[in-house]
Parts: sequence; structure tokens; C-alpha cells
Amino acid sequence: MRSMVEKRLGATHPRMTIMSGPTREADFADLVDDPAPAHVAREPRPGAPLRGYSHSVEIGQVRMVHGAAAMLAMSVLADSGIEHSRGQYHNPAMFTPLVSSTLSILASLDGAARSETSAHPLRLASYGIAMVVGLVGTAFHVHNITKKPGGFSWENLFYQAPIGAPAALSLSGLLGLAAEGIRDEKPGESPKLLGLPAAPALAGLTALGLLGTTAEVSLLHFRGNFQNPLMYLPVALPPIAAALTAEAALRPHKRPRPQAKLWLGITAALGVAGVAAHAYGTHRYSGGWKNWRQNLVDGPPIPAPPAFSGLALAGFAALALLERHGDD
Amino acid sequence: MSSDPFERPRAADGRAPDVFKMGGWIPMRQNRDGDEVDFAIVGTGAGGGTLAARLAEKGFSVVAFDAGPYFRPLEDFASDETAQEKLYWNDPRVVEGADPIVMGGKNSGKTVGGSMVHFAMVSLRFRPEWFKSRSTLGYGADWPIGWEEMWRYYDQVEKDLSISGPINYPWGPPRPRYPYRPHPLNAAAEVLARGCEAMGMKWTPTPLATVSAPRGEAHPCVYRGFCRFGCSTNAKQSTLNTYIPRAIRAGAEIRDLAMVGRIETDARDRATGVHYHRDGRWRFQKARNVIVAGYAVESPRLLLNSATDRHRHGLANGSGLVGKYLMTQPNQAVYGKSKDEIRWNKGPPSLAITEHWNYDDRKDFDGGYCWMGQGPLPIEWAKTVTASRGIWGDELRLAMQDYNYQVGVKMVGECMPSEANTVTLADQKDRYGLPVAKVTFGWSDNDKALIRHALDQMEMSLEAAGVTDLFRQEEDANHLGGTVRMGDDRRTSVVDADCRSWDVPNLFVCDGSVFPTVGGVNPSLTIQAIALRTADRIEQLAARGDI
Amino acid sequence: MTERSFPGYDVLDKRDTPSWNDATRDAIDERLKVPREPRFFSSDEFATLEAVCGRILPQPADRADPVPIAAYVDAKIFSGQLDGYRFDKLPPQGEAWRIGLAALDHEARDRHGARFRDLGRADRDGILRDMQQGRLEGDHWKGMPLKLFFTKRVVHDVTDAYYGHPTAWSEIGFGGPASPRGYVRMDKNRRDPWEAAEGKPGEEERALKENRHVV
Repeated sequence: MRSMVEKRLGATHPRMTIMSGPTREADFADLVDDPAPAHVAREPRPGAPLRGYSHSVEIGQVRMVHGAAAMLAMSVLADSGIEHSRGQYHNPAMFTPLVSSTLSILASLDGAARSETSAHPLRLASYGIAMVVGLVGTAFHVHNITKKPGGFSWENLFYQAPIGAPAALSLSGLLGLAAEGIRDEKPGESPKLLGLPAAPALAGLTALGLLGTTAEVSLLHFRGNFQNPLMYLPVALPPIAAALTAEAALRPHKRPRPQAKLWLGITAALGVAGVAAHAYGTHRYSGGWKNWRQNLVDGPPIPAPPAFSGLALAGFAALALLERHGDD
Repeated sequence: MSSDPFERPRAADGRAPDVFKMGGWIPMRQNRDGDEVDFAIVGTGAGGGTLAARLAEKGFSVVAFDAGPYFRPLEDFASDETAQEKLYWNDPRVVEGADPIVMGGKNSGKTVGGSMVHFAMVSLRFRPEWFKSRSTLGYGADWPIGWEEMWRYYDQVEKDLSISGPINYPWGPPRPRYPYRPHPLNAAAEVLARGCEAMGMKWTPTPLATVSAPRGEAHPCVYRGFCRFGCSTNAKQSTLNTYIPRAIRAGAEIRDLAMVGRIETDARDRATGVHYHRDGRWRFQKARNVIVAGYAVESPRLLLNSATDRHRHGLANGSGLVGKYLMTQPNQAVYGKSKDEIRWNKGPPSLAITEHWNYDDRKDFDGGYCWMGQGPLPIEWAKTVTASRGIWGDELRLAMQDYNYQVGVKMVGECMPSEANTVTLADQKDRYGLPVAKVTFGWSDNDKALIRHALDQMEMSLEAAGVTDLFRQEEDANHLGGTVRMGDDRRTSVVDADCRSWDVPNLFVCDGSVFPTVGGVNPSLTIQAIALRTADRIEQLAARGDI
Repeated sequence: MTERSFPGYDVLDKRDTPSWNDATRDAIDERLKVPREPRFFSSDEFATLEAVCGRILPQPADRADPVPIAAYVDAKIFSGQLDGYRFDKLPPQGEAWRIGLAALDHEARDRHGARFRDLGRADRDGILRDMQQGRLEGDHWKGMPLKLFFTKRVVHDVTDAYYGHPTAWSEIGFGGPASPRGYVRMDKNRRDPWEAAEGKPGEEERALKENRHVV
């Protein structure tokens, strides 16, 4: 397989990505709007002068994945900030996800700003911590549930510490590690994530993340009885994007995937629209915004939906990488 | 901001209050006194309000009377025990007997929406066997209705009220999933749960008529804990903000501050309408049919107060049973102190429940009971402490300072029907000049055995949950039943299965007073299920010209 | 038993927060304006009533503005507001109180040769305790069952008045009115920032600080 990859890589033009390359937004818009393999079209033509870098780090994609990690981490920061203030930080460990997600955000911002082609140990550490904190958090949350009367009951799944939430932090860490892995690509090798080919691994991670997030949304929207039909959207739509991304991970041929991009775009938009929907929902709670101290906590979580946008961004990056590196 | 709901009727001039908006109105069809309406309904609570909606939706013309005011919860309800006494039936009643029943807030409402406006929202189904407790369990009396039929109407009322309940209810035959998800437990409910788990009993989040997510214009519950003093956010799904608005939309008229004092009957023993007091004078509304839905004290009182020469012992009283077989549910409790801060005033009072003893028949007494979490507010708590422990002075003041650590569980139990427990007329007159009700009650030996058993079990469960300084609240009773019992024999009952009087064929009684047995769970859901059934039966009877 | 304290906590601080709606503000404002002079009782009866209230719920001597319990008992009877039931063995509330207050003075004169209000605490408590246990008799009680009167009228009305007052809510650390804002943190040992903080030993300073911000 490796030789296949190398052969294919050898056949492609050595690429240079300009240091002041596309911004995240531009990347994003570009990918949503342009059904054609976006980066290929915008890349310097063969024979264009090379400056500084001789191998093909797709810094644009690196930025996107950092962006995805940052968005997830921001969602975690705001959401766990609110949720843990509900719990009033009675256990000092409840500060950990705030610290870790902040580190993850800083690492991502730093990573997105830099074009160097090697991973940085501090960023790696930040992301590694996020991954671990997410895992430990999950264990904590599970432990909390088992301590409550009823154990693993619907009641506790609805109202005790959410099992799925810390996983978002792990996911953010993993995405960050993926960005570092892609960035650290050695000449003649396809980028790696935890020893796997980075592109399909990132696509798989995105698909799993989308499914996990959808599962959590399903649980919470079920708790809210789908009282507004819009609440079905984040349950029904992201799995389509997840399926298409998973398909890309399982069959990483090098080909355009307009359908996957379309659904990732929809999922990304859903994350943004969700913030507005949740803000509207909060206003409908008793006392509306005047009662923000209660309703920000008890109302629909306003910072939660962008997790979808972050994952979609990671999906876009994975698809773009696949277009470069496909595995056929 | 808005008018005083006690000063003059709000439902007038072609409109009625919009309960979802401060100062809001909805259009309402009105009838003249001389118009012979299809149904005059006395009372707008669980029985009358539900019937008003269903009958109007079936195309009948309906006027529903309530002696109380028409509130808009958002603007009229304070968060205050004292101020909210305005929701209760505070008119005089005389209570007597070996165990006089405390009335008022415990069991009687006087507002549009009835006592559902201040009920604790606990929405439970009867155990199926209770509908035939005489034949299947050997006590009480059989209902003339089977449980399978009631199950269908329970489905309907649970949907209509968007009951928030557990995904799987641990007792009884399968039922559809509750329309809304359960509420989170508060600390008091968690103590109940721990106690039950320690004793090997099942428990569950209580099915409650307060929404856990937005529903239409109703906010979700904000856990303010004043549920029994009126829900000022409309989260509570009472008749006032569910069936009453439906009734008005379907063309029914609600008349608030309208006290019905007498049902008129003609020489053919048919009801012709009701005399009611509104706007400072007595008036008469003509009606083809009359439905009495004033609950277990006011319904028999109205029938007794409607006596004529042809009905000397009160209307519909050929059996002599009007006012007899009064039941009230034992409502004893055990309280104690937790080492943790509980702050039981937060959230609905009864967030968790065990019905274990309603479904376990290995006991040496008849009937069953459930128990649930508690969260009395300061005044009620002070009354409980003083009545149960007999303390006052500095001891009381200091004991009250443990408020945030108190925790307890309270039973709702089944009381045996006894002919000796009655509602009769007293010599005293009320402000309308009508004889007031005299309520005579005493526990039977079986009731006492049941209460003892419950107190023991509750105490054990609290001990098992680590609660200390336990004490028992030995006297308390709440929901009522009986007094106009239904049956399939006119000699032993007042109304038939359709809630129709055996004696006066166009007179119905539809509320908790028709219960032949009261069951060991809160009765509101069953009252409403019967009302839904009665509406369907009336439609069928009317279709074949039987009404 | 020792006094708990909620240093600096005053439920009235929340009056203008989302915990209080207009209906609540109106109701409590009205309550705080209760006339201090009797309108139902004679001033003589009222003085005895105050002496009874002071023993059923003795308030701390250093309290600047004690809850006028007797005024609330008087106001309720004067307003004609009823309980919704009357024990057949007890006269209506106003009449029952009048009989009871006169009889307490009668007992005080018989026993100590002074009016009830002029007795020391212990003597007043002695008579009240005998009433609670049904150990008093005589025509001056007019056949009223003492235990019933004591529990269902005297203590009932006094606790209604006292624990319906914001001062008492602050004293027991009760959150007070809650609408449109309710509560978020319902687990044990959790308090919302707008709830009373208890000054447990060693935590008085922190509680004082938190209670300044219960808004």
C-alpha cells in the first residue's frame, strides 16, 4: 500500500502552499461553493516557481483541521463552562475541560497561523491533553451516573452529567493531532494520523464524531420531546454527511465527492443555525432573556450546535486531502 | 395593569381572558339566560372543564359555571402561600366526626379550572383491579366501567395534558410512552429513590402534569416549587390552560363568579336549568341537560339544596345515597433531617414516587397506597411541625431553621367507602344564603391499619436512606371521593356508568364524587378520563335520541 | 439545638430581580403595610393576643423590626377571610379567639392574680402548655375543646402570620418568591446564587459575601 501511495505521490506535481495561503473562511466558502476539486484548481500550475518548501504539505487543509479542532474546543469551553457552573465546580476537576479546551483553542490558533511543516511539541501536548481529558471526563461522567439512584436509566442519561460531552474534547484533540500529522508530512510519504493514513483516518474520525454528536443531540432533543419540528433536523441530517464521509474513509479513492461536500456544508450550516434556534428557544423559557441566569443553563445549550460545524470543517479537510492523496 | 378578577366577571362581553397573555383576551360565544342550551355544566375543574371542551367540540351548546374568578396565571399569581389562598374554596363548611377533614387548600378549589389550578400535578392511573375491587380483591365496590376502556381514556387525557413521565412506568399493564419526558429529580426525590432502592422497591420519576419542554404557549417548568399555590408560568397543564381554552374555541361559554345554587326540575322529573348568582343577583339559565361537576362536597350539596316536593331528600336521591360514602385519601407522612442540604422547596413537590404497595397484596388490610417526595413551603411546614410534634415557642423557631435540611415522604392511600362518612347540609348559611355543607368523617379500622403500615414502611425507607430525627405526621387527608357514587344498580348508586342520574334522566354528575372506591393514587387523571368517557357516551346517547 | 444563621441574607433584596413578578411584589408590599392597630379586637384583647403570639413564636430581642404577628391575626379576622372549614366544636375564628383570650386572662388572674400579658414568660408558657394539653377547665372556656383551639386556631394562626412574612423566610434561609425565575440547581448541597447561603461554622464570611449577591 505504501508503495502505491508513493508511486501516486511521485506522479503528482510537487506542490507548494503559499505561506499566506487561503484563510479558513475562504477555504470554507470555496469548498462549499465549488463542486470541483477545489484546491487543485487553485494550486500553482506546474512549473510555477517554488519558494522554500519542496514537498507537498497542504497547509490549507492543516488550517482547516486546526479550525475544526478550535471550533470543537470552543464549543466545549462554552458548553462545559455553562454546565459546570450548574455544578458550581464542586469538584475542582470540573475546571479541567475549561483549561484543556482553552489550550486546544490556543494551539489551534497558533497552528492555523503558522505554515511551518513540522509539528510543534507544545501543540502536540495540548492536543494530547485534550484527548486524555476527554477520556477521563467520560469516565467521570459515567461514574457520576452509576452513583445516582437508577444507574444507567433514561432519567440519569437525560439529566446527569452528559456522557457524550467530554468526547467532544477528545475529538478536538484528535483533530488537532491530525492537523499536526498532516503538517508533519515527510517528503514522499502520505500524512499519518496515529499511524493510519491521515486522509481516510480523518474522514473516519469525522464520521464517528458526527454520529456521536448526533447521538447526543438525539438524546437531548428527545428529552425536549422534539417540541419544535426543527429539532428533528440535527438528528436527521448529520448522519447523511456522516455516511458519505464514512464512505470516503472506507473507500478512499481519489475522486471528487460533491455529495459529501454538499452534506457537510449543510451540517456546517446546521451548526450555525442551531445557535440561532437555541437562542430563540432560550427566549421562550419563563422570564425570557431577563431570566438569563436560569435560562442560559436550563434552556437549550446555545454553544453546543457549532460542534457540528467544527466536525464538518474537519470533513472538508479530509475530503480535500483525499483528493490529493486518495488511496486507489 | 388589569382588573380585579374578584370584582366583576371577566368572561363577558363576548370575550374571555387569554390565560397565556397578560391582559389578553380570546373571543367567546355567549348565550342568553333564556336560550335553552344543550348543557349547563356546574363547575369547571377536572370533571366540568374537561366535559365542556369535549361536548363543545362535539357540537353541543355549552355553558359552564364556576363560582370562582377567571385568572390569568402570568399576571394574577403571586409566589406566595398566603396570597394564593385565593385559589381555594374558603367559604364556610363545617367539619366533624372522629377525624374531621381539613378542607380549603387541601382539596377544594374555587376558580375557573377548579382545584386543578393548585393541584400537585401527580397524574397516575388506577390499578386495573381497582375498577373491580369487590370481585377481584374482595373489598369496596365494583365500578360499572372496566379498566380496558378506562385505559383508552387515560391515553387520551395524558396526551391532552402532555404529561411528563418516565419512559417506562414500572407498574401495571403497558401504557403508551408519556407524551413528555420526565423531570429531573430534586434532592428530596433522590432521598425517596435511595430509600426505595435500599428496601428493594421500585421507584420512578412521577408522571406530572407540568411540561418538561415548551408546549404551545406554555413555558417549560422552571422548578419554582409553588405548584400547589398556582403555577404562574403556565407550565402546569391544568384545566385552566388546557381544556378551558379548547372549550371556548369550540364555542362553549364559561361564566366565572357564577355560583349555582339550585337545579330546577319540572313535573316530569327532568332538569330544566340552573339558578345561579352572578353580578349581584340570582338568574336562571335554561338548559336541556344539566351536569354537576362540583366535586365531592359541592356536588352533593347542590343536589341536596335542589330538593323539591317531588324530591324531598334532594335531587337524584332515590337511593338515599347522595352525600354518603364520602372518602378521603390518607395523606400521612414521615419527615426527618438529612445531613445534606436538601432545599426541598425547589421543583415540584412530588418528583419521585413508589407505587409498590398498590401492586403488592401481601398485607393484612385492604387497599393500597403509594408515597412520593415532599416539599412543603414554610407555612405548611410550620403547620406540619406544630401539629405533629406539638412544639411551639423557641423550640419551634429553632426547628424551623432546619428547613433546608428537611426531607420526607407522603402517602396517598386508599380509604374504604363507608356509609357513615357523609356530606349533609348544616344549619349555617353561606353568603349566597345557601345552607353550607357539613362534612362528617372518621377513619375505619382498615384505614387505620393501612396508615400504620404506610407510616412504618415510609419510616424504614427514610432510615435506610440515612435520614435522622424522624417524626410522623399522623393526621392528614387530601383528595376526596364518593358522595354521588356510580354503579349499575339504582338502589345502590346515584348515577350509572355514564354518570347519569338514575332518577333525573337529563341530569349528570361528573367529578370525583362518582367514585365508588377512591383508589390509592391521586384521582385527577381518573376524573378526567371519566369525563372524556362521559362526553363520548353523551354523544352516543344523543345520536340515538336517548338524551 | 443552636440557631442557624444566614448572615446578611434578606429575601427582600430579591424584590426587583426576576425571582419576583408584579403580583408577588403587590402581595408582599401589601403585607408589609399591615395596620399595627387592631380593627377586630379591642385594644385590651389585642394586648393579650400580642402576649400569646410572643410566646408561641418568640422573636430575637435584637430584631429591629419584629414581625407584627398579632396584627396579622387581627387583619385576617377583620377581613372576613375564612379557612374553608370550621371544626364543629369550635366557634368561628373571631369568636373562638375572643373566648380564648378572655379565658387566658381569667386563668392568669386565678393563678397569679395578674393579667396574662403581665405575667413572666415562664408563667405564660405554663398556662399555654396546660391549654395545649387540655388541662384547663371552667365556664370561661365556654365548652371550647382546648387542644383543638390551641393547635388548630392559636398555633395555626400564629404560624400562618409569622411564616408568611419575609423576615421569617430570611430567618430559615428560604428562597422566597420564585417567578418567573425558578431554580436551576436541584441536587443536594447545591444552591443557586440567588438562594440563601448558610453561615455554617467557619463559613460566616463567605456566606455573608454570597448573601449580598442573592439577586
